[in-house]
Amino acid sequence: MATTALPRPKAYDDTFFKPISLWLTTTDHKLIGIMYMVTGVLSFVIGGIFALIVRLQLSQPNLKVVDPETYNQLISAHGVTMIFFFVTIFLTGIANYMVPIMVGARDMAFPRVNLLGFWLVPVSIILYYSGFFTGGALNAGWTGYAPLTEKAYNSHSLGVDFWALSIIVWAISGIMASTNFLTTIVALRAPGMRFSRLPLFVWAQISTSILLLVVGAPLAAAMILLEFDRQLGTQFFTTAGRPVLYQHLFWFFGHPEVYIMILPGFGMISEVIPVFARKPIFGYMSMVAALFGIVFLSMTVWAHHMFTVGMNVYVEGFFMLMTMLIAVPTGIKFFNWIATTWWGSVEFTVPMKFAFGFLATFLIGGLTGIYLASVPVDTQLHQSYYVVAHLHYVLFGGSVFTIMAGIYYWFPKITGRMLGHKLGEWNFWTLFIGFNGTFLIMHTLGLEGMPRRIATYANEAWAATNLIITLSSFLIAFSVALLLVNIVRSWAHGEIAGDDPWKANTLEWATSSPPPPYNFERVPPVRSFMPVRDLRESGELVESEPLPAPA
Amino acid sequence: MTRVVRALVAAVGIAAFPFVLGACELGGLHPIFPNPVSPNGQDIFTTYLWISVPAIIIFIGVEAALLWVVLRYRRSRQPANYVPPQVHGNTTIEVVWTIIPLIIVLGIAGYSFNTLLKDFQPITNAQMEVTISGHQFGWDYDYENGVVVHQEGTLAGEVTPFVVPTNTLVKLRFRGTDVIHSWWVPAISGKTDAVPGYDNFSWLKIDQVGTWHGECAELCGVGHATMQINVQAMNQADFDSWMNQKKAALASPSPSK
Repeated sequence: MATTALPRPKAYDDTFFKPISLWLTTTDHKLIGIMYMVTGVLSFVIGGIFALIVRLQLSQPNLKVVDPETYNQLISAHGVTMIFFFVTIFLTGIANYMVPIMVGARDMAFPRVNLLGFWLVPVSIILYYSGFFTGGALNAGWTGYAPLTEKAYNSHSLGVDFWALSIIVWAISGIMASTNFLTTIVALRAPGMRFSRLPLFVWAQISTSILLLVVGAPLAAAMILLEFDRQLGTQFFTTAGRPVLYQHLFWFFGHPEVYIMILPGFGMISEVIPVFARKPIFGYMSMVAALFGIVFLSMTVWAHHMFTVGMNVYVEGFFMLMTMLIAVPTGIKFFNWIATTWWGSVEFTVPMKFAFGFLATFLIGGLTGIYLASVPVDTQLHQSYYVVAHLHYVLFGGSVFTIMAGIYYWFPKITGRMLGHKLGEWNFWTLFIGFNGTFLIMHTLGLEGMPRRIATYANEAWAATNLIITLSSFLIAFSVALLLVNIVRSWAHGEIAGDDPWKANTLEWATSSPPPPYNFERVPPVRSFMPVRDLRESGELVESEPLPAPA
Repeated sequence: MTRVVRALVAAVGIAAFPFVLGACELGGLHPIFPNPVSPNGQDIFTTYLWISVPAIIIFIGVEAALLWVVLRYRRSRQPANYVPPQVHGNTTIEVVWTIIPLIIVLGIAGYSFNTLLKDFQPITNAQMEVTISGHQFGWDYDYENGVVVHQEGTLAGEVTPFVVPTNTLVKLRFRGTDVIHSWWVPAISGKTDAVPGYDNFSWLKIDQVGTWHGECAELCGVGHATMQINVQAMNQADFDSWMNQKKAALASPSPSK
């Protein structure tokens, strides 16, 4: 909670209420980070609206809220928006804001590349949605399996072409951001900030950036080959070609992508839990090792999305084994987080509640992942609502809960004001209940044989479950509305946070809230992986004076 | 809300998972597949059950640990000036919780691989072979004697059944003719993709008379949801007379056709 009620820092007004030309041209990593995050939240809302329409359509059998073609476009747009334009973009934004400060740097290593990388994101988003104005956007699911996306079966619009172009631009943007993160972390660390003292969020960003560097290009390659097929008449993935090659290329990106979406979340949880348990992270080195174990393994598991295409059983066995092995480093992280809180003095602030909500729900996603990794069981569960439930447990219970923890944890640093506590509590409980109400019973639909991506169904036995799911999904929407209200209200009228409202450990809390241009007047000494705690304990930490407005 | 009430709410929230699962079962839902009627489906079912043993133990153990932290180590339960022990790690315990999950997943992988070798390779001892080809939007079942069942997709009413004899090992050969489809009847076994360009295989050996439903499991276009599947198992005598009727119909096509 806020300790002192300092006057609102002048820098705050200078940061946020500059003319639009500043936002369009800034190379400040903090402003670019905010733009990434705002883009991400807007995409979350848009993708959520798509999901609500989908849920209305499925709430009862044989409904005609939307026609099947529109339905297919909606599920595709929901997946693309959430994965490419919300989770990945938001996480890039929060890292863009925090990583340079956490390593004690003045900015990212390549500020203008950062600027270009960000502005490619709206280009990518606009390209994708342009598809809706050409007779229909992508309608083959976010994975866009060929040959359904080929000209022979999809020539009524340019939706697939716009999607492919959008993803190519997105991949270029991601490669730029990853290069920038890695260079910043390697080259611009503050004196004393050895690799062994990097905050775990920064380690997570290293591992994420390596993954995106490796898999971004194959994704772009798949899209380029698909465009060759569609526009130049080649036969890479057509009915006469090798459709399964597309799946290999896509999932060589697609599976590491789920770790690109969760490893930064792991990093945020590793920051939040020690602060509110008042204990150092348990097993720092094994946390780092587990991250890189996941990075390595995640590149050897892609074909577990393809157990029904008819591969050799020994190949399937390999991918099954590697997939299951990911449970080991993930388990290490889980046990270390729990051990960090053990014997602690745990303060259940809103970010800590979201961290525990993440632990309680992500566990379910991890366990159902083991079922799905087992080839025989996967042939039953694959492409069913069980998979939809599983992926939402890892992407919503995982990524979104960690993002929520990150928002509540770092909002005071970014805006200088606390997010409202009461609304935050409501936000957490409605999200926790709404999320589990939506996705826990969804597993049973898959076990009963309901395939995913069907526009409607005739089976009356699925009606009650689907209705409960649809009602719960509106509770999630209500919760997200609470978050937005909380952000808007607190940004303008929230309690003044001060430099270090949580008594935290890492360097961003040693500067003012929001940090001044170039982050630090003087970079504090770094003597361990908890530099700010060291300073607090040695009495060297001083609340910074509100900065005078720069001329 | 007092702290105690809040602690209780948190406890109930986290403890609710297993009860919600239980409630589903009471409500007439089955958190498990329908009883499979073919040996490969039964082996999948058994594998699912065996994975559930460690999964449920781990689920309860971890959620209980989280609950214990919420109840016991929350700041309001600690003494006023409590300073937690500043533990940075413990190599022994970290090795233990690396090795134990490793052993568990190796066990699950080994068991699953055994089932995979047993049930998921193309068979050579089939008593009958049927070629199933998927198209937008329906299935054709070619019995290799000229008889073909056309199962055109619809959501209104039942689709034409694919008929097989009971207790007969039937090899299924899958072909895609346009886009990728996936043939899935949960009560029989897992799904198999019908991919254009190569043949894919599965098999079934149904042990009782009856009819089972399924549908296409790979998004294949606007009619995806209509690609319903009906599989009817008859005893050998009924099957033979059904097949003879079909053959007779082939020999003298009815005028209405």
